[in-house]
Amino acid sequence: MSAIVTKNLSKIYREVGKASVKSLDGLDLTIEENEVYGFLGRNGAGKTTTIKILCSLLKPTSGEAFVFGESVRTPQARQHIGYLPEQPYFYEYLTPKETLDFYGKLRNLSPAERNHQWDKLSELLDLRDIADQRIKGFSKGMRQRIGFAVALMGDPPLLILDEPMSGLDPIGRRMIRDLIMRCRDEKKTLFFSSHVMSDVEQICDRVSILVKGKLTHRGRIDQLLESQTKAVEIITAGLSDETRRTLRERATDYRALDEQDIFVLPDEAAANEAVQQLQQQGGRIVQFTPIRESLEDFFLRQQTPTNEEAR
Amino acid sequence: MRIFTIAQNTFRESIRDKVLYVLLFFAAVTIFGSKALGWISIGQDIKIVKDIALSATSIFGILIAIFVGTSLIYKEIDKRTLYTILAQPMQRYEFILGKYLGLVALLAVVTVTMTVVSSVYILLLGGTLHLTFFLAILLIYAKLMLITAFAVLMSSLTSPILGAIIVFSVAVFGHATEVFRDLPPQFDGTSAKALLEAAYYVIPNLSNFDLTREAANGIDVSGAYVVWVLVYGLMYTVTLLILAALAFQEKDV
Repeated sequence: MSAIVTKNLSKIYREVGKASVKSLDGLDLTIEENEVYGFLGRNGAGKTTTIKILCSLLKPTSGEAFVFGESVRTPQARQHIGYLPEQPYFYEYLTPKETLDFYGKLRNLSPAERNHQWDKLSELLDLRDIADQRIKGFSKGMRQRIGFAVALMGDPPLLILDEPMSGLDPIGRRMIRDLIMRCRDEKKTLFFSSHVMSDVEQICDRVSILVKGKLTHRGRIDQLLESQTKAVEIITAGLSDETRRTLRERATDYRALDEQDIFVLPDEAAANEAVQQLQQQGGRIVQFTPIRESLEDFFLRQQTPTNEEAR
Repeated sequence: MRIFTIAQNTFRESIRDKVLYVLLFFAAVTIFGSKALGWISIGQDIKIVKDIALSATSIFGILIAIFVGTSLIYKEIDKRTLYTILAQPMQRYEFILGKYLGLVALLAVVTVTMTVVSSVYILLLGGTLHLTFFLAILLIYAKLMLITAFAVLMSSLTSPILGAIIVFSVAVFGHATEVFRDLPPQFDGTSAKALLEAAYYVIPNLSNFDLTREAANGIDVSGAYVVWVLVYGLMYTVTLLILAALAFQEKDV
């Protein structure tokens, strides 16, 4: 069963005296169980709107959304969801322990289950030392840890995380990344939005890119970037001067390092020809590396308007 | 269970509200200061103290219901604490009902505290307490429950300031609904008359809840009347809470 399905989901914000804003435009998404799915887009692209619709905080203007087959408008759907909003806020006068207990009660967990969850989550998120301190005055990182613990409360199979790494220091980001990896290992489904492309590239199985409320790209990261090989780097050794000279003519970049020659060839065809030449003329290939554009390059390219769009 | 959890938390939150203590301070000053008015009206001092104690309980209870109640939902949206709560497997009406019950529990504590303070003060002044005094308190509390329901409805629809103005206006006009009905003849046939007459039927008649005169003078009131007013208040309260739940059900947060 698919963890998340959206059908033609749209959201228009209407305010009296203000122009309507179309935040989401006919979004069709399917996210399978046990997958880690990245949801990318600039600020205002519609990511948070989508997430809020999935968590039933917003009502779609049109279209439908389902979580494990249940309409997101039903409490049964939210039984499957653990939600971490961007910058989570909690009651400042409660302690982390009281906060988790409060959310455990909202999930109808028994006292024994709530205690068990506290034991597990406080250890996982390193909350024991701050268990009885009031949340008021906590740093962003500490609040994010509590937010993650709240999302994991009741062991939901689907985690929806809105910019989970935004505003965190490198240690905080690492911690969240490790937690996501851990949840992936526990066969949870993760759907999260992020601006940190390197993290998305490392963690996600598939991504979607949203531009001005419309889905422009989706798929496995390696497939999205497959046709976008920018260049090929070949590291060689034992070349004759003649082979080196002719390969340099083909290469867009060359450097010598110790006993090795490093050539950067403009595309795979040029690289294949270079390999054939090496095989014929002698010389050893130490390394053959297609240089693909990173997800960040790809993402930035999608955000740049074409000449036609700019007009 | 969830409703109780939200109510418990709302109680804890509201009891930290500084407005509550400011209003309680003024209520205490008013009750203790009532003796000064009693000196002016010779031989009537206990009657005046009872009258003012009940009025203070009513007025300051209404002000607490308005100031805390109208910001109850808005504050949750503004501070974004609502996001993680509504994302839980619960119905939105459970949240509204929980918030409402938390605040009426706080008002129960406030009402009981003011009743105890007033009663002890009256006894210390040599007065006696008649059953009607406590029935008057009961009806004041029923009125506070109704006004809190209206404040919660406004809180789920509009900003605290606008909500407070509307609830305050209804609370004031609710104590004098006859004004809408007994209009001077020059209003006959006008649309204003139809509108004000409609207001007369829609706005709850809060003077029904007022037993101050009877309590101050030790006059008996019939149990049937008290039950009738309680049912009247309950019907309005339930209707307002249903409207609040419906308004909040479709609200984008």
